[in-house]
Amino acid sequence: MQINFRKALASDKSGTFNLEVSFAADDEVTILFGPSGSGKTTTLRAIAGIIQPDQGHIEVGGKTFFDSQTRVNIPIQDRRVGYVFQDYALFPHLTGEQNVAYGIKEKSEAMRRDRARQLLSLFKVEQIGGRYPQNMSGGEQQRFALARALASNPSIVLLDEPLSAVDLETRAGLLDEIASAQGRFGIPFLYVTHNPIEARRLGTHAVVLDKGKVKTIGLPQDIFKQSS
Amino acid sequence: MVWESFKLSILVVTAATIVNATLGIALGLLFAKGRFFGRELLASFFTLPLVLPPTVTGFFLIVMFGRHGLIGAPIYEVTGWTVAFTWQAAVIAAVVLALPLMVLSARAAIESINPQYEIASYTLGKSHLATFFLITLPLARRGILAGIVLSFTRALGEFGATFMLAGNIPGRTQTMPLAIYEAVISGDNKQAQVLALILTGVSVAAVYLTAKLTKGVLRY
Repeated sequence: MQINFRKALASDKSGTFNLEVSFAADDEVTILFGPSGSGKTTTLRAIAGIIQPDQGHIEVGGKTFFDSQTRVNIPIQDRRVGYVFQDYALFPHLTGEQNVAYGIKEKSEAMRRDRARQLLSLFKVEQIGGRYPQNMSGGEQQRFALARALASNPSIVLLDEPLSAVDLETRAGLLDEIASAQGRFGIPFLYVTHNPIEARRLGTHAVVLDKGKVKTIGLPQDIFKQSS
Repeated sequence: MVWESFKLSILVVTAATIVNATLGIALGLLFAKGRFFGRELLASFFTLPLVLPPTVTGFFLIVMFGRHGLIGAPIYEVTGWTVAFTWQAAVIAAVVLALPLMVLSARAAIESINPQYEIASYTLGKSHLATFFLITLPLARRGILAGIVLSFTRALGEFGATFMLAGNIPGRTQTMPLAIYEAVISGDNKQAQVLALILTGVSVAAVYLTAKLTKGVLRY
């Protein structure tokens, strides 16, 4: 993936916030690290096509999503991006299984259900597929959200601080599951966090953002030393 | 008189509610999501019948739909038919007067949905139309149902504008509220009582239903 764009955003304080991001990554799990307000979520939103950069080039898996020079701007629906939102955004009127089946592009109902069931068992939530999101724990919602993001055969998965709503004990287990899901699907994950422990445990590559600019790019074990 | 006006009211209100629900959801969506110049001005225009005296709205309706009206005249030219003093005129009056409640309810219900759900649906490859029917509408359903009940009730009670545009012809345009008026001025208290009871009963049921529906409107 090649990410290179600029976007001026109205900020809460006076003036505008200028986001200028440039990095290339095709690693397994790329960490997008930085304090809150550094532009991590905005970067994910630009890759997904939720917002449009002012200028630049965004390319994922050899496919150009956005290019200001050639005026390419693929709509969100056609980008095939799996997005795990910070608050998961599971559809509250659908069960966990229906949430996962929502984005599956199989023609027959039976095939959609089969595929959804496979994903549920992969994330060990097949027993609670009939549950509605409001009756799930944070960790369970996280698993359904990841399964849903993977269900539409994405070419990349964007994860926006997926463990921020999960208690500490569940975090370690979920980190392992995210890593193993990445290995199984073999598509790049771009993982936003401000937690150095998560970054070190999960990342194979890291991009550090600060105040809208790329500060460092490198290996997580170098950037996030044990002491930090 | 009671039975005739009851039948006519049901016909008029059913037609008006079907039009209102469709138009109200579409306009509610437009005002909730649309980003265009003059949006609030247009939204205010559709809210106006809520605060205008119904006879004033009725007057404007005559200006629009009367035989010499802006829309009425060309229709009369072509077809020789005029909507004034027909049951369809009562439907127009009921639609215009009750639409604001539907639009306001639908807009509020749609605006109360976290836009993240719609974005999530787009990332999963669903079009705007599919997202509207699969996500937005189901999540807004309680507020929309409340709007349907409210506008149904408002249409049922419509008097002033109906009188202006449709007149008060027994069996043709005399809906229940007009029949009550007729019964009272002709000294028929019995009929007035029966009609008043029916309308009060329906209204109480509607208000109760609306309260039930809106109680959980912010559940998501």
